[in-house]
Amino acid sequence: MAPILRMERINKQYPGVQALADVDFSLEPGEVRALLGKNGAGKSTLVKILSGAVKPDSGTIHINGEAATINSPRDAFELGICTVYQEMSLVPGLTVAENILLGRWPTRRQLGVSVIDRREIRRVAQGALDQLEVTLDLNELVSRLNVAQHQLVEIAKAISFDPRVLVLDEPTSALPSEEVEVLHKVVRHLAEQGRAIIYVTHRLQEIPHVADSVTVLRDGMHIGTIPVEEAVPERIAQMMIGVDWRRTEYLRDSQAGEVKLSVKDLNREDVLHDISFDLYAGEVLGIAGLLGSGRTDLLRAIFGLDPIDSGEITVDGSLVSDPSPITMKAHGVGLTPEDRKLQGLVLPFSVRQNLTLASLDRVSNRGVLRRRRERSLAEKMVKDVQIVTPHLDARTETLSGGNQQKVVIGNWLNTLPDVLIMDEPTRGIDIQAKEQVFNLVRDLARRGLAVLFVSSEIEEVLDVSDRILIMNRGRITGEVRCDEVDIETLLALAMEEIEND
Amino acid sequence: MIETAEAKARPMPLDQARTFLSRSGLLVGLILLFVLLALFAPNFLTTRNQLNVLRAVAFNGIIACAMTFIIISGDIDVSVGSAVAWASSLLGVLAIKQGWPLWLAVITVIAQQTVVHGLAGYIRCKWNVPAFVVTLTLFMSLRGAARLITNAYPITPFPDEFNFWGGGYVAGTIPVPAIIMVVTFIIFHFISTRTVFGRWVYSVGGNEESARLSGIPVWRTRILIFAITGLLSAFSGVILSSRIMSGSSNIAEGLEFDVIAAVIIGGTSLAGGEGSIFGTFLGVLFIGLLSNGMVLLGITPFAQEVVRGLTILFAVLISVWQKPIRK
Repeated sequence: MAPILRMERINKQYPGVQALADVDFSLEPGEVRALLGKNGAGKSTLVKILSGAVKPDSGTIHINGEAATINSPRDAFELGICTVYQEMSLVPGLTVAENILLGRWPTRRQLGVSVIDRREIRRVAQGALDQLEVTLDLNELVSRLNVAQHQLVEIAKAISFDPRVLVLDEPTSALPSEEVEVLHKVVRHLAEQGRAIIYVTHRLQEIPHVADSVTVLRDGMHIGTIPVEEAVPERIAQMMIGVDWRRTEYLRDSQAGEVKLSVKDLNREDVLHDISFDLYAGEVLGIAGLLGSGRTDLLRAIFGLDPIDSGEITVDGSLVSDPSPITMKAHGVGLTPEDRKLQGLVLPFSVRQNLTLASLDRVSNRGVLRRRRERSLAEKMVKDVQIVTPHLDARTETLSGGNQQKVVIGNWLNTLPDVLIMDEPTRGIDIQAKEQVFNLVRDLARRGLAVLFVSSEIEEVLDVSDRILIMNRGRITGEVRCDEVDIETLLALAMEEIEND
Repeated sequence: MIETAEAKARPMPLDQARTFLSRSGLLVGLILLFVLLALFAPNFLTTRNQLNVLRAVAFNGIIACAMTFIIISGDIDVSVGSAVAWASSLLGVLAIKQGWPLWLAVITVIAQQTVVHGLAGYIRCKWNVPAFVVTLTLFMSLRGAARLITNAYPITPFPDEFNFWGGGYVAGTIPVPAIIMVVTFIIFHFISTRTVFGRWVYSVGGNEESARLSGIPVWRTRILIFAITGLLSAFSGVILSSRIMSGSSNIAEGLEFDVIAAVIIGGTSLAGGEGSIFGTFLGVLFIGLLSNGMVLLGITPFAQEVVRGLTILFAVLISVWQKPIRK
């Protein structure tokens, strides 16, 4: 069969990064292709090129044997390529039918005025849903639907363009397990209609259920395309990691001491299930899990940012009955949040003010700030965590990402915590800053701090931790010691789904 | 690190310089206005007129301190004018109709408004009702309540000695309200720059989520800010009653917008997180001088309103133009 989509020698360069290097990619009608790769492997760039969001530097694209150029999302639509992104693009205040035809509502003339033809909207929208073979109330407001139904509306919206190629970007990452099956059925059904589907995913378990073949990208290169029968977790992990990756050995000479933080049977509906673990002084405990595994939810629950349904959180032997940032801080627990700009910093504040945000009680006396003390504390922290700033009173928003991250960490170190929870401390910062953060983390452990470390880069978790918990769909599904595990095994473990009991 | 060593060598960092510039921009405008009025407005430069300006702005100025905190924290309060009228009316009813001792009536009036506004702050936090809506409720109902208990007639007479607070002079020349205002500004300047609470106000407005995650009591901060606003509004209402020597429900109409205007002209950002009490002080003076000058120049009241309105837009535009373009 002739390929419906053929991409050849696609190159795309961003400043400092070769996002795609000579990538060949082709699809046949009726084929579901799983697209895998770590963060930054080039998956999203490939998807964006197909959807017209970015232009390749070089390379050719053929659709149905004809040379095609995709300069805009509109071109992509006209060539029959539709993309459903992770982020929802629905309008909550409109109905299912209105969303499926968003911005393309048919009109009719009534009393000389052009009005929206609701009946026609419903007819066309129903047609799209019929192709998916799902039932949804067309008149329901999207705000009243659950995540899985949102996803179906998104796909119906794409199908209403009658695409030949449908791109689904991590469609199941936010779905609860029982809904995943429905989505797989829809995808298979659409493939049977002769559409080619690119299915970006992290979940190995679902691949046999949905895909015919698997393509793995790494560092912008096409590593290989294999039939689904050969796509066992170990093989995939090997392809994703490659042979040239080497573990960075950080000095792990810290001694695990007593239990600092103990979590028992933590539950939060749909998000966290029976989470129990202990965190010891002087150790770095990593959490390896994919997007949607519940790793951030776990940290938020411990820090009292989200309510929990049941479970116990004990710090230093004393039970925390009402976890909140204030009580956790009082117990000597700190959290550096995943989004430094939205959750970690007050951007208009100076570096000094951000460094003492959580420790104002240490730099004040009866509610009055001791400005010299604040300055010296901030100054010391700037040296300790190596923040590069023109001066202490520089606005924090003028700093680089890595230095902003160090300010967030410094803010919590100034509270003299026993336990530091770090959510994605290396997101969006350069390699040099990353290394500084890792060295800092190891150094903190050496000084007796208990560190809980989360990163979406699984290699980083392995590099920096002493012990790793594997998280999957809100459960802890395993625990490994870092000196006993290699990266391929760890990645395979994190990607494996545990069948629901 | 080398960078921190540099910090000591540079006593006036760029950002501080910029802050100073944006403030001094207003200062320059203020001086310019002063000179122009001195040249063209008859009787503007007389001591008597100058002191009158100070007294005229005092009632707004006191409330503007609290309003600065409200706006820095990212909220808004449109009820302060009604709160002034309610405080004045209640004072009249309690002290004159009910015959309470004056001091007790004053304390009661101030205390109840502190509680009422604190409650408004609580509702704003607990049910996440926009501050505008909560205070709009107060704006309407406090004015209504004031007219209800007074039948919209001024209540008189207060004892003569009460007139000291709003109409009296110290050292024979300086109006008492002006002194009260200056003291209030000094206190609030101290709170905003030197206390933990002041830092809370800025962080809650600058990024509520970061503040919460850093263990700052966001609710307590907001409720306190509202309570302070109630307190200062009632306090201002008391001295205004003393000035006019009656409890009246018809005073301070539109006062909230004069106060908000002064805060905005003073460089406080409606987006929250940035602003200063000192800037508000200049803003209050600016509006006071402008109003006074226009009266002296014989400009009709309606035209005055147009000018005052345009001034706000102009002040905000200047501050927008001064800001560096962010990436």
